[in-house]
Amino acid sequence: MTKNNVKTKTPKLKVSKESQYKRYTRSKVGNFFYVLFLVAFGAFSVLPLVYCIVTSFKPLDELLVFPPRFFVIRPTVANYAALPGLLSNLRIPLSRYVFNSLFVTITSTLLYVFLATLAAFALCKSKIKGRKTFFLIVQFALLFNAYTLSIPRYLIYSWFGLIDTYLVMIIPHVASTMGVFLMKQYMEGAIPNALLEAARVDGAGAYRIFFQIAVPIVKPCLLTLILFGFREAWAITPQGTIFNESLKTLPTIMQQITAGGIARSGSAMAVTVIMMIPPILVYMISQSNIMESMSSAGIKE
Amino acid sequence: MKLKKHRGIETLKSRYGLMFVTPWIIGLLLFFVYPIFQSLIYIFSDVRVVVGGTMMKWVGLDNINYIFQKDPEFANNLGQGLFTLLYTCPVILILSMIIGIMLSGQFKGRLFFRVVYFLPAIMAAGSVLAMLFQYQAGDVSSIQSDESVSSGMIDVSEIIAFTGLPQQIGDFISTTLSGIMNIIWSCGIQIVLFISGMQTIPELLYEVGKVEGATKWEEFWFITLPMLSNVIVLVLVFTVVDAMTSQTDVVMTQAYALMDSQLYGRASAMLWTYFLCVGAATGLVLWLYNRFCASRWQ
Repeated sequence: MTKNNVKTKTPKLKVSKESQYKRYTRSKVGNFFYVLFLVAFGAFSVLPLVYCIVTSFKPLDELLVFPPRFFVIRPTVANYAALPGLLSNLRIPLSRYVFNSLFVTITSTLLYVFLATLAAFALCKSKIKGRKTFFLIVQFALLFNAYTLSIPRYLIYSWFGLIDTYLVMIIPHVASTMGVFLMKQYMEGAIPNALLEAARVDGAGAYRIFFQIAVPIVKPCLLTLILFGFREAWAITPQGTIFNESLKTLPTIMQQITAGGIARSGSAMAVTVIMMIPPILVYMISQSNIMESMSSAGIKE
Repeated sequence: MKLKKHRGIETLKSRYGLMFVTPWIIGLLLFFVYPIFQSLIYIFSDVRVVVGGTMMKWVGLDNINYIFQKDPEFANNLGQGLFTLLYTCPVILILSMIIGIMLSGQFKGRLFFRVVYFLPAIMAAGSVLAMLFQYQAGDVSSIQSDESVSSGMIDVSEIIAFTGLPQQIGDFISTTLSGIMNIIWSCGIQIVLFISGMQTIPELLYEVGKVEGATKWEEFWFITLPMLSNVIVLVLVFTVVDAMTSQTDVVMTQAYALMDSQLYGRASAMLWTYFLCVGAATGLVLWLYNRFCASRWQ
């Protein structure tokens, strides 16, 4: 495998695209069932979103109908139009929440991805004592989510004086173990040891090996990790650790609007739709062809 | 196809390795190892939250005895939770592999479908939709309370009633649909993992396969599957973890309810029992996998 892996880096982008295209050409009937399968299952994942969007356009009387209707009869933008009014009642300007959300999400995602990649690289490709033990701990720690550990964690936050700071939102997220697990599993298959050895022989230092060889190879995984990190950090709602209103993030406002009851459910849906846009954008960027071709063209033998 | 495992490059000195891991290990120790250890202690104690911290009293095996002998629901929930994992995880794994492989092919509208299949993962991370999802996870056709109306949900039974099918068939369809819905909704991340795994498979291998005259079927069994073996392990572990820590899991629900009423000792005992059972089962599967599949593929 090692040999093959090293060799494949040579084909130019064009060649690999062509062959990939050939690989997936099939008869028209086959194509039809292919798409039909994807559409049929895709419908299940897209319906709730459609419902969410449809609901956000419902006027008040249709929101109150029991049982709830799927489709909207008289669509209105009133729910969206009402948002500025709802938000102007806040004590802190909306821009502050937006800034908080962006700051926390971006910082913690970058740190998370960087540290996880470093650690995974070391756990996977160097000989540190106890790396197997650490990996076992990682796997076990995956089972414990933030809520399960909330009490002991709270104590730690208060020892270090993290309560009511940005750090209390950023640090636990950065420490999460999923990234290391994912990255290590991926690196084991993707980075040939021979390549690292060759780099070493050519006189590259540890950092250079990491940034110029390991990182480009694992780019697809890196993008996946950025996406996961972003997705989770974006939805962070600190519970009992943030009291200062000016440090709260967007999901908190969303909760406040949702707490308004049935009458607000249209606006709640409108906010939800808006909140979902950034993660979807990040996902589309990470999945687009530009990124893919970069990852496959990143290294040469 | 020889994979030399755990043969770190000798030249990358371990001190660099240490430098690379240290920041992360500090986080791990502080936010995982210590709290997990603490929750292990909670099993044997009566924990009370007081002003400025917690108060613990050593009670020995009381909590464990309680959950197994006195708690009317726990044993039942544990069995049900494990059984649910047993049938959902393989289905999720296989389905997400199929979809992942399909979505890594070249066809028009690929990005669109990738987004479609990832939507649930994004939506489930948001809090309002987590709520929405919770209601869907239950029986869709059940009578809805006022709250579920406010959170909004898809009423499958209404759509079916609209088409004019008899009640029984309608019920059957809505149960099946909500089952499929749940599974598709838990596939989002797994599909992305498979897509990124597919990107690492060298194109060359398929070309070699084609030259050798391999059929699509053989290509899958001898190239795709072995090359994805790392990703499969990853997805398996992820699926198990994701399924059991989700809000809809029966054991989790019970433990969370206990935590809300400040019975942390019992909640910890429950969680640890459950984790150990699932951990043992996953370990067994991985061991069997390494023994019979991985060795053959390499």
